[in-house]
Amino acid sequence: MSTTLAITHETRYSYAVPVSPALHLAHLRPLADAGQAVEHFDLAIDPMPDEVSTETDVWGNQRTLFAVVVPHRELCVRASSQVALVPRFDAIRPEDSPPWETVVQRLQYVARAPWEPAVEFVQPSPFVPRLEVLRAYARPSFPPGRPVAAAVIHLMHRVHADFTYDGDATQIDTPVAEAFAQRRGVCQDFAHVLAGALRMMGLPARYVSGYLRTTPAPGQPALVGADASHAWVQAWVPGTPGVPADGWLGLDPTNDLLPGVDHVRVAVGRDFGDVTPLRGVIRGGGQHTLAVSVHTRSVGAAGGPGVATSPAMQGEKQDEDEGTAS
Amino acid sequence: MTTPTQTSLPFDPAGGGNAALDALLRHAQPADARVWDELRGADGRPRPVWQSFARLIADGPQGLDRRVHEVAQQLRHDGVTHNVFSDQGVAVRPWSLELLPMMIEPADWARIEAGVLQRAELLEAMLADLYGDRHLLHEGLMPPALLLRHPGYLRPLHRVRPAGGQRLHIVAFDIARGPDGRWWTVAQRTQGPSGLGYVMHNRLVITRQFPDAFRELRVQHIASSYRRLIDALDQRARDVAGGQTPRIVLLTPGQYSETYFEQAYLARYLGLPLVEGGDLTVRADRLFLKTVEGLEPVHGVLRRVDDDWCDPLELRPDSALGVPGLLRAARAGHVVLANALGSGFLESPALQGFLPGIAQRLMDQELLMPALPTWWCGEPAAWLDVRDRMGDKLLRTAFPHGGRTSQMHNASKVDVAADPDAWTVQGRLSFSRTPIWHQGRTLPRPALVRVYAIADARGRWHVLPGGMTRVAQGVDGSVSMQRGGSSLDTWVMTAGRVDEFSMLPSRLQVDDILTRRRPVTSRTGENLFWLGRYTERTEQLVRLARVTLSLIDTDNDAGPAVLQSLTALAVRKGLAPDGVPTLLQSPAVFERAVLSGLGDATGEQGVFSVAYNLQALARASQALRERLSAEQWGLMRQMSEGFAQALAPRTPGELPTRIQATPALDRVAEQLAAVTGAQTDRMTRDHGWRLLTVGRLIDRLIGVSARFEEFLQGEALGSAAGIDLLLELFDSAITFRARYQRHEDLLALADLLVLDNSNPRAYAGVLRRLRTELRKLPGGDDSIQPLLDLLPAEGVGFTLEDLRDATDAQIAQRLLDLSQAMGQAGMHLADAIGERYFMLASDEHRMQQV
Repeated sequence: MSTTLAITHETRYSYAVPVSPALHLAHLRPLADAGQAVEHFDLAIDPMPDEVSTETDVWGNQRTLFAVVVPHRELCVRASSQVALVPRFDAIRPEDSPPWETVVQRLQYVARAPWEPAVEFVQPSPFVPRLEVLRAYARPSFPPGRPVAAAVIHLMHRVHADFTYDGDATQIDTPVAEAFAQRRGVCQDFAHVLAGALRMMGLPARYVSGYLRTTPAPGQPALVGADASHAWVQAWVPGTPGVPADGWLGLDPTNDLLPGVDHVRVAVGRDFGDVTPLRGVIRGGGQHTLAVSVHTRSVGAAGGPGVATSPAMQGEKQDEDEGTAS
Repeated sequence: MTTPTQTSLPFDPAGGGNAALDALLRHAQPADARVWDELRGADGRPRPVWQSFARLIADGPQGLDRRVHEVAQQLRHDGVTHNVFSDQGVAVRPWSLELLPMMIEPADWARIEAGVLQRAELLEAMLADLYGDRHLLHEGLMPPALLLRHPGYLRPLHRVRPAGGQRLHIVAFDIARGPDGRWWTVAQRTQGPSGLGYVMHNRLVITRQFPDAFRELRVQHIASSYRRLIDALDQRARDVAGGQTPRIVLLTPGQYSETYFEQAYLARYLGLPLVEGGDLTVRADRLFLKTVEGLEPVHGVLRRVDDDWCDPLELRPDSALGVPGLLRAARAGHVVLANALGSGFLESPALQGFLPGIAQRLMDQELLMPALPTWWCGEPAAWLDVRDRMGDKLLRTAFPHGGRTSQMHNASKVDVAADPDAWTVQGRLSFSRTPIWHQGRTLPRPALVRVYAIADARGRWHVLPGGMTRVAQGVDGSVSMQRGGSSLDTWVMTAGRVDEFSMLPSRLQVDDILTRRRPVTSRTGENLFWLGRYTERTEQLVRLARVTLSLIDTDNDAGPAVLQSLTALAVRKGLAPDGVPTLLQSPAVFERAVLSGLGDATGEQGVFSVAYNLQALARASQALRERLSAEQWGLMRQMSEGFAQALAPRTPGELPTRIQATPALDRVAEQLAAVTGAQTDRMTRDHGWRLLTVGRLIDRLIGVSARFEEFLQGEALGSAAGIDLLLELFDSAITFRARYQRHEDLLALADLLVLDNSNPRAYAGVLRRLRTELRKLPGGDDSIQPLLDLLPAEGVGFTLEDLRDATDAQIAQRLLDLSQAMGQAGMHLADAIGERYFMLASDEHRMQQV
């Protein structure tokens, strides 16, 4: 049973003085894999860019580079996607996953032994440096021998319980240490904290940039984070029943659930910096303002908002969400 | 064989006891017995190469002392510096070079060369593997963290094949000789190894001191290695240029970079334009240089900017040193980067322990030259093995730290277990001691030699037969130029033929010659323009200061109108602050104000006088190092420094006296004449020179109009004293007397200072040259005509004939109108030129992140 979501993600820069040239890097095209199919994608850029190229990065994300040479006071980038999603973790049995220590052990370097590529996501990254406080925070979720999936879900619950969603507490470049210290932030901060804590325990964690449908299905609570693009985490829990063979399990600490058919994955990386939806380097511009809006709309049969503790609810949906700048 | 009793014999073929050998040995501080002594063998006798050297130089201690002095003088003359960083910021330090060279004998060199070639080849092979199929990770030959955690691993370049296929073009290895006489690899530099400029300069300075020894000892020449480097880049760039003649540039982080001097020196030596990130731009995946003639394609970049600073779009977003889009151009294969981006992780000391296994896998070879033993703490077995015997070892970061490739830490203060991957343990090596000459004797100093492997156009490696040896400040200190170390020329001797190649270019085609005309970047053009403006402005100020001070000094019949006019001009030109009592009200107070402002380089007192402008001149020329000759550059610096010294108060807080100021101003006037002469005669008349000249003429036009305006408005030209003074300011008194004797009237003045287009200081003369040079600026009529339209089409707009029946008052009014118009025209012209030619470089238009 799949759900189809249509998403329009619009970014608008307004500049005090004309810009020329502008070079931009976008991660806006949703991922296509066994869990989601991209039925339609369109990237509209105004003014018309002089050059556009799309490449696949080292992790399989689609990145689009474009340059606008014509002098402009406004740049509008609109990504329209239609994505069919299938539930991914409905059948998960966290308690049947291997002890967390064995996963850590698998990643340890041993001379002349083959490697696990997931080890890349144990490494600290620019937005998620190593912090001993995160290790101390994570430890209670990792008693000896606990199955790895159960442990990471336990940690997600705690992050959700301990942190307050607060759109004013942090900026796009707030260090994870600061967000952790004040126990407040937005989805990006929740994701960085959870990823950082998992990595300090020696477990791989990826940052996922994407979208979230928030209008609740009947009888479901509203989800947080649809006013702009959303972000969550994937933890590596190989050998867990109900998790795809690659071992990556989604964890949305902002909403305390395992992503289902309301989460559209756009790109995965080590942290926000690897998969920023849109950034650029411009000449000129002076003061500028940035407006971002995301609309999600269900166009097909639906699943539930995600897996909380039991398999998702089913229901028909036809709704539209709308948001403004983050 | 008898031993000579006279130790003062200058030359003894038996090598027993000549003065130089005596000097080198008699007072030589012995090296520690546990280290290798480069000067003496185990028997205590000097090694044969030092015996030969001593025989060939035939200098006694005084001679060597004198040579040390000469070397220091030469470095100072050439302005050789390096920038030292500390908590207090950046300081410019003179480069330190020892008199005695580091000697490497043929047999030792053969082993070094083989070991270095092999390691360079290995590093290139590692890059190909790790940015490709990653066998080294799949087979567990290299810990993934050393690649994937290292900021020098650049994911946007994964599976990108560089233009021409080669990633590394220059690799530097720091090597040292251990107590057993073997050479060891201590570190390797792959990003943009520094030192090739210093190596060449050190060589020129030291061979000048010891030409005979250099020749007789068959020291290998190094010029052909530079030629090979530039030829290889040229060849590879030719392939991407698609039939065009390739253009290669040297990309510098700028004048605050640690080794800016040598980057500028190397650029000059190799004949490459020295450019900053802001001078380049990427359009349609191709790299261009912003020049005053527009965008010019660039096909190769010799790079001294570190990897992660090179492209703010895809790498460090906060970098202002890079070129947005450079990675795109690199991925598209449209530009050769030397070295390619993404090699930084190879510099980690933690990698050394894995290289033998990697060499086996990728090359099926044993490494010939050993590296310091290392234990990467991320491998539990290695850390367990070494943790309890750290006493004689160093703990270093495996990843860059505090701007350094790796940093040393005190093992007892680090909790390695908290993050073992981040640490590596390195065995210590006692470096061999090489002699330096210091005040009448030799001292042994630990030596670290940086050698360079250079790839040719076919990807074969060659080692530059020489290098940069660095010695520690003390007998046991660590070797670092940042911490007060010193450098040595490095003499590699050969048993075979000496390659006497000098840096003469290979035969060029006409197209090559056209391309090799140095492009003038917008930024360079702007700096040259300001160099011209400041030179002229300073000259005018010096003259004004001399005239003003001598007027105060002497009895004269200058009336109130003249004194008020001169005051007004002095204030307007920044010689004295606004609101100071005038020359008429209080000559003494006015003089003090002028004297106090002369030496103020900061402008804090509201005066922008001579010292202020001299400093602006020195700054503009600092940014132009690669274009100005050493003489010109040195002259600018001497002017600024000499003037400051000459005006230094005798006791703190006191003003400079007129007795100090007058000769100091005279001296600066002479030096400025030399600077102007060099600008006129010694520079190629390209667009850069033209912009400098235009800048100069614009300031002259503005200066002429200011003088006329103040003297006319102040009605100072009614007296002979006023006319005399104005002629003084125009440096035209002698011509005037010769032509008009003592007819001090306005018409004669107008003829000489306004209408005479053969007088370089008259309006007509300035305007004529300005029009000529403007017409030669790049861009065609469309851009040049608007500039010309700001000036009178011909002459000054009226002729002597037009003044035939005019009264003095009418003449004065005409001149005043002209002066006001020309002052305005000068300023508008400066703005228009900035807009037309320097827009691309100007600061308001820097890149920003969004």
